[in-house]
Amino acid sequence: MWTGSEEYLCDMELAQAFHMARVIGMPLLIEGEPGTGKTELPLQFAKSLGLELHVYPVGSKSSVEQFVAKFDHVKYLRDSQVEILNAQREEKGLESKLSTGGRNTESLQDYVLRGPATKAFSSPNSVLLIDEIDKAPREFPNDLLYALSHRRLVMPESGETIEVSEEDMPAIVITSNREQELPTAFKGRCVYHYISFPPKETMHQIVAKHYPSMDEELQNKCINLFYQMRSLGLERAPATRELLSWIKYLASFEKAEALTKVTRADGMGVLIKNHQDLQKVKLKILGKNPYQN
Amino acid sequence: MFDQLPETFRSFKLNADVRTLLRLRQAMDKGLVSTLGDMFYVLKGLITTSPTDIGPFSKAFYAHFLDIDILPGEPLDKAILRSNAFKEWKDKLSSDEKEDIEDLELVDQFLDEVHLTSYDIKKFLDGKDILDKDDPSLKDKDAPGDNPASDRHHVLDRMADYRDIPLEELMRRMREVAKQQKTRHEGGDHWIGSGGVSPYGNGGAAAGGIRVGGAGGGKMARAAINNRDFYPADAKAPLGDDNVDAALAALKGIEEGSSEIILDVPLTIKEGLKQGGIFLPYEKEKRQQRIQVILMIDNGGWSMSPYIRVVQKLFAKMKTRFAHDLKTYYFHNTIYGGLYTDAARSQFAPLDKINLQDKNYTVFVIGDADMAPYELHRSSIRDWQKLSKHFKRMAWLNPMSEGEWYASMTCSVIKQIFPMFELTPEGIESAVLEMNKLKGNGW
Repeated sequence: MWTGSEEYLCDMELAQAFHMARVIGMPLLIEGEPGTGKTELPLQFAKSLGLELHVYPVGSKSSVEQFVAKFDHVKYLRDSQVEILNAQREEKGLESKLSTGGRNTESLQDYVLRGPATKAFSSPNSVLLIDEIDKAPREFPNDLLYALSHRRLVMPESGETIEVSEEDMPAIVITSNREQELPTAFKGRCVYHYISFPPKETMHQIVAKHYPSMDEELQNKCINLFYQMRSLGLERAPATRELLSWIKYLASFEKAEALTKVTRADGMGVLIKNHQDLQKVKLKILGKNPYQN
Repeated sequence: MFDQLPETFRSFKLNADVRTLLRLRQAMDKGLVSTLGDMFYVLKGLITTSPTDIGPFSKAFYAHFLDIDILPGEPLDKAILRSNAFKEWKDKLSSDEKEDIEDLELVDQFLDEVHLTSYDIKKFLDGKDILDKDDPSLKDKDAPGDNPASDRHHVLDRMADYRDIPLEELMRRMREVAKQQKTRHEGGDHWIGSGGVSPYGNGGAAAGGIRVGGAGGGKMARAAINNRDFYPADAKAPLGDDNVDAALAALKGIEEGSSEIILDVPLTIKEGLKQGGIFLPYEKEKRQQRIQVILMIDNGGWSMSPYIRVVQKLFAKMKTRFAHDLKTYYFHNTIYGGLYTDAARSQFAPLDKINLQDKNYTVFVIGDADMAPYELHRSSIRDWQKLSKHFKRMAWLNPMSEGEWYASMTCSVIKQIFPMFELTPEGIESAVLEMNKLKGNGW
């Protein structure tokens, strides 16, 4: 079982869920607050084991076509016109020919643009990340599931099939920020894991992984303030990612200076990204009236 | 005991069926389940589909595998203390092990053992060893002439790893043991039931021999049982801070209402090539995901005031998350020729101007529709009708419960103009479904 790497602290529960998903060949669906390391898991897994990684970032216009494979009709049209043109030139006795870039209109697979799924399925033991699936149009998750439910993909137009054996099946990780509820049928076919926000002790370990030489006092202060902010019930509570950026900023100063920066909560813009939240923090943690100065 | 599993979990309103069992079996075949703690994780991955499933799931798990029923609102520790599983487990401890230890500390230990996974066990004992020594044809403990050797490997059995033993073999032995079992028994490493190490019995995981450094099973379980975030919000309760996210999820169901016709380039080319280079255009429908929402809030009068804040919170979330085109209007009780664009109701927006907006807006009116009958006079009714004629997708959300609607005359009148729903997550969901049905009629 893979339990993380030098730079990445993998939560035990998550590691177990991931292991289980790989062993029984189901995709792993990870949900959780933004910035809790959902995307990091497959990235670090691939990196630490030296596996090939294929990423499909989902957006509002995502389609299974992009994900699996697409037939390039325009290029196909161009090349077929080029052929006619070349034939005409030959008739007229002209030597020069237009090139089709090595593509042949007779072989349709030359015009298939392979998406990340196809690429992952054709390289054994790779890692396939489908990032932020909650951003997708409604029908995408179910279409996706259909494509992934067999270990076989059929290329459009050319009819070529890409098959993968059970042993070589890529590890599939799907992440979601829960901005949209996913269909129940879809969730039912994934191994589900919800990343809860790490407790303080874990956060110390995470910070230590990123900044091993960080001063202990500074670290304590930062993390305490961070959890204090999270307890305020902000609209957009800061997450691990924000904390790490803030520490990165603080790390560029001498210890004494950094400490005063913590007490004054300098560089707050990294942690709090909403005007109302910022006022709340100023009022409740720093004891400042936000309407002054 | 697995036959009953889907049923138990379903009774906790979770999705579990035969497929769950098949997948569980698959996981067992692959050696993923060696302890009860493993079972917890594997089932959790297979059954839960949202954080709000985690609470019910944990309860179902305790009920099914340990016969521990957790009453609503009861802390996990208490439920464990009064359970048989815990008593039996405690009886099994030697007096040394439980001397001077508070019951609550023992609960910690109990939970750690229940949730001990095979990954937690750093040093495995050879599970095969135990099974070889264990004779499944042993008679039941209570039978006369019981073999005293049954407690022979008591220390060993507290840390068993069965992963090298094929599942079929384990199943076979379990069946044999089950046939033998006449009474409810305690302990021993070859019994199904609470206590023993059999990974298929109640309380199977036992780790007493070597304490694994802070597996933290208890901590995790308590967090899941006692945290409201891990339970579904009450969809029937009036909209409040607790279930505002459930309402938000319901609002996400609003479908995009626009579609336009565009040139289908791939089909045009394909057909054109078939025709030997004569390209006839083909068209297709293009759908756009666009959510446009108008809110009309009754913010006058004391009857509405408890709801204003939470309604605004709900739709503010909606605006930042997915409906960037959101307009809000205010009114008091009913409308006379227009609405107001500010909460103080000083900026008047005439109805004719509002009705110039895209008819594809989804409109929610939020109000109790309860007022003095003279307030809702004929011209005001006509104003509402004008709106409902222009905006095809329009619904009224009422914070009063449905039973109270009929007591109010004005409410009954308005209910004839707009489809009316309760201002609860469930009501909002029905409103959204109803409005989606209207799609295609209006344009």
